[in-house]
Amino acid sequence: MLRHAWRLARKDLLVEFRSRTAILSAVVFTVLVLMVFNFGRDPTAVAAVDLAPSIVWVTFTFAAMLALNRAFQLELENQALDGLLLAPVSRSSIYLGKLIANLVFVATVEGIGLPLFALFFNVRVVPVLGPLVGIIALATLGFVAVGTLFSAMTARTRFAELLLPVLLLPFMIPPLIWAVLATATLLAGRPLSEAGGWLRLLAAFDIVFVALAFVLFPATVNE
Amino acid sequence: MRLLQTGRWITVIGLALLPAVYVRAISFTPVERMQGAAQKIFYLHVPAAIWTESAMVLVGVASIFFLFLKDPRLDRFAEASAEVGIVFGSIVLTTGPIWGKPIWGTWWTWDARLTLTLLLFLMYVGYLLLRGAVTDPGLRARYAAVLGICGMCLVPFVHLSVYMFRTLHPQPIVLKPSAPSLPGSMLATLAFSFVVFTVLFVGFVTQRYALSLLREQAAPHA
Amino acid sequence: MPENTPYMVAAYIVAAAILVGYAVLLYRRTLKP
Repeated sequence: MLRHAWRLARKDLLVEFRSRTAILSAVVFTVLVLMVFNFGRDPTAVAAVDLAPSIVWVTFTFAAMLALNRAFQLELENQALDGLLLAPVSRSSIYLGKLIANLVFVATVEGIGLPLFALFFNVRVVPVLGPLVGIIALATLGFVAVGTLFSAMTARTRFAELLLPVLLLPFMIPPLIWAVLATATLLAGRPLSEAGGWLRLLAAFDIVFVALAFVLFPATVNE
Repeated sequence: MRLLQTGRWITVIGLALLPAVYVRAISFTPVERMQGAAQKIFYLHVPAAIWTESAMVLVGVASIFFLFLKDPRLDRFAEASAEVGIVFGSIVLTTGPIWGKPIWGTWWTWDARLTLTLLLFLMYVGYLLLRGAVTDPGLRARYAAVLGICGMCLVPFVHLSVYMFRTLHPQPIVLKPSAPSLPGSMLATLAFSFVVFTVLFVGFVTQRYALSLLREQAAPHA
Repeated sequence: MPENTPYMVAAYIVAAAILVGYAVLLYRRTLKP
């Protein structure tokens, strides 16, 4: 299953990165959001470090939404989804492939966004880079897992781009909040153990919802 | 149709009992010392909140069974529960701020009940929007079931979060809009109100279910 | 009159309005599905 998933993911990613439009627009968007946040605050009144966690996470969330919106659109054009379903590949592989592709996409945007954020806001992330990347990975996995499942459903509906965020929002709020709280703990220089509760919730969320998505995905594509 | 008639009768009974709840809460239950009359909002707010959350469990469980059994009755029941969940959720989200304003000083607080109810409300809306956006009935039922199950699974996480947040940021106990130990009279009023709200929930869901059935019978799908 | 009564009244009216309103809505929808 893993092999099929990986091939599927590669196919998606190759299409994405060859065309480059999606990744480019996501990065540009990230820069835009960061700039807006910067000019939106009064630097004398609010320290960058206080706002930092929220800024980082709102930015990443938008990037994830951009990625997820397009997740199944590739298949939608050319009816490729039917072809995919007919192939001797298990449904789970399809989901896993999509998940991996989406994760790589979002991770790329985050990988570019984080240094930019550190630069624009003059926040020192290098000392806490390890744990920070860990938090980012946990939260991202959570909402991309749910988002990939939901985008399989919204892809064929009329107002897909509008519907997906609406459906996804309640499921992104808890992990987002935990990630912001954990990030805030880190950036404030406090030990990681203080964010332990939030990290455990993130991990539990990931386990539950990745498993759930795997189990439920076939229901979204079976005829 | 019998189911519809039953639902209507149950609803009527519930609505007829509602004034009794009101009278009991307003005139025959003691006024709480620190919150004044506003505390009495509790008797409507809490039963509504209980049913808003319970409706999500019903949606989730019905959805799980639907995916296994493929019985359209389960799908209809889930749909009905979600819609009624929105109604009760609206009660929580309106009475909550009205209660909060004099007590906390602000219209909105991120307390456990309001936060959870807001998320539930958003999920119900999403659930109904998804149903509205899918034209094929078989697909619609399956998609809704997937969303319903995910929604139900999110609820424990919200509870955990709130609990964790509370242990880190203890709230002032004095004016908490939920008394842990109620005097007998208040408990009785709350119980009475809960029963009436239950009757209303059952009546609403029954009618809404009947409505789905009627619609399908009027325009049968292939 | 105990304090905060106007708030109580407002909330009680809103709740009743929602419940009765939905009941009426259901009634009308089920008259002609």
